[in-house]
Amino acid sequence: MALPPFQYVAPATVDETLALLSEYGERIKVLAGGTEITGRLKQRLVTPSHILSLKNVPGFSGIATKEGEVVIKAGTTLREVIASPLLKPAFSAIIQAAEAVAAPPIQNIATIGGNLLQNTRCLEYNQSELVRKASGLCFKTGGGTCLAVKGGNRCFSVYQGDLAPALMAFDATIKVEKKGSSRILTVCDLFSGKGESPHTLSADELVTEIHLPVPASPFASSYKKLRMRGSLDYPLASACVFLSVGDGVAREARIVLSACGPSPLSRTEAAGLLKGKALTQIDVQEVADAAARGVEAADNLVLPASYRRKMFRVLAARAIREALDDLTKAGS
Amino acid sequence: MMEKPEKIRCALRINNEDYDLFISPHRTLLEVLRDELQLTGAKESCNEGACGTCTVLLDGLPVRSCLLLALEAQGREVTTIEGLAKDGKLHPVQEAFVEHHGIQCGFCSPGMILTAKALLDENPHPTEAEIRRAISGNVCRCTGYAKIVEAIKAASGKEI
Repeated sequence: MALPPFQYVAPATVDETLALLSEYGERIKVLAGGTEITGRLKQRLVTPSHILSLKNVPGFSGIATKEGEVVIKAGTTLREVIASPLLKPAFSAIIQAAEAVAAPPIQNIATIGGNLLQNTRCLEYNQSELVRKASGLCFKTGGGTCLAVKGGNRCFSVYQGDLAPALMAFDATIKVEKKGSSRILTVCDLFSGKGESPHTLSADELVTEIHLPVPASPFASSYKKLRMRGSLDYPLASACVFLSVGDGVAREARIVLSACGPSPLSRTEAAGLLKGKALTQIDVQEVADAAARGVEAADNLVLPASYRRKMFRVLAARAIREALDDLTKAGS
Repeated sequence: MMEKPEKIRCALRINNEDYDLFISPHRTLLEVLRDELQLTGAKESCNEGACGTCTVLLDGLPVRSCLLLALEAQGREVTTIEGLAKDGKLHPVQEAFVEHHGIQCGFCSPGMILTAKALLDENPHPTEAEIRRAISGNVCRCTGYAKIVEAIKAASGKEI
C-alpha cells in the first residue's frame, strides 16, 4: 500500500518545530523513527497535509543523568535505550520493555517518544480504508458505535506500547513543549483513558524529554509481556512491577498493567499490599490476584479477552517474583 | 488529503554511490530503490514492517525500508544486498548462506543476509541465542530457520 501524498518539512531547531506545530495544528504530524506513523499513513488512519521530520533537530536524542534523574531525550532510539550503561542493568524493566518492542530492526530506528505516543489499536480499527469503509464508522473513526464490543458505549481500543507501563512503574515524567511554554507531566497523566484520543497532548505540543527518577534505596523491576510470537508482536497483555527495599522491607511499590484498555493501569491497591512487607513475607499470588481483579479486556485483539484477563494475573505474579528474586540476589 | 506535492531533491548515498534524485515526499526508500534505481534486491512483502524482506542497512544497522521515507535516508549510508559482493566475489555471509543451504525460495534472503552481516560486523562471534535474536524480525516461510542459523554460525567461523 502506498503512502498518501503530503508535504515534507524538516526544521533545523526545536523552536522552528514548535512554530510549525503551532501553525498547522491537526494538519501536521511528527515523524521521528517513523515505524508507527508510516503504517498509520498507509492505512489512511491519519491523512495530514504535512509531515514534520525531526531528523535535522540537533540534541533530540541522548541519555544523561541530571539532579537525581536519568533524562532520556524523546528522539533516543530503543537500541540506544537498550545499550545505555546509565539504564543497564539497574532499570531492568525499561530495558526488558525496549527489547520487547517488535524486533531489533524496529528498535534500531523507533524512538522512545514515538513508542510512548503510539496510538491505540483494535482489530476493527487497524484495517485498510477499504475494510473500514465496509464495516462502517466506529467511535475511533468518528461514528457512534463500537464494532468490537456489541452494544459498547465507548471506544475499547487498546494501548499496546511497551515502554509506557515500564516508565509508569518508575514514576517517570515527561517534558512537553509548545510554542512559548513547556510543562512537565507524569507518564500516567499523558494518557486520557479514552480510546478515541488516548493521549492528553494538544496538536501543537511535542514531547522532548523523559525523566526517570533514580530511587534512593535499592530497587528491582520487571516487565512481562504476552504475545503470540517471541518477537514482532504488540503486547496482548503486560505487567510491570517496581519494588524498592530498605532493611529487608518493601518501601515503594508500583504495579502497572497494560494492553488491557486505552491506557496503562496503575494498580495502587495491589501495590499497597507490597508496601511495608518484609520481602520474605510477600504473598505473590495474593498481590497478583489483587492487581488483576476487575481488569477489563475486550475481544478486539488476536487473543480472546477471557484468556488475556487470566494472563494479567499470571504476568503480574511472574514480574513480582522476578523483582523479588533480583532483590534477594542483590542481598537487599 | 491534499493535491500531489511537488517532487523535491533527494540526495542519497547507496552502496558507496551518490544519487541525486527528484522524488515525491511520500515515497518510501523501498519504492525508490526498486522503482527508480532498479535495486530490486530489497523485496516488498507485508509493506507494514512485520516481515523484514525489505531490510536494508542504514549506517550499518538493519531497518525496514518500507517504513522509511526516502527523504529520511538523506545524509545516511544505505547498503542494499547489491552492495555486498565485491569485484564479482560474494560476501562471506552470502557464501555461507549458499554453502549451508540457508536459501530456499530466496525471498527473505536479502533481508536475512544483511541482518546477519550487521550482526557479525558488531559481534563477530555471536552465540546461537544472539543470532536468533538478531534475525527475529525477519520472517522465513521455507527453511524453519535452522539452516539460516547454521549459515550465520559458519560465517562467524564457528563449528556447526
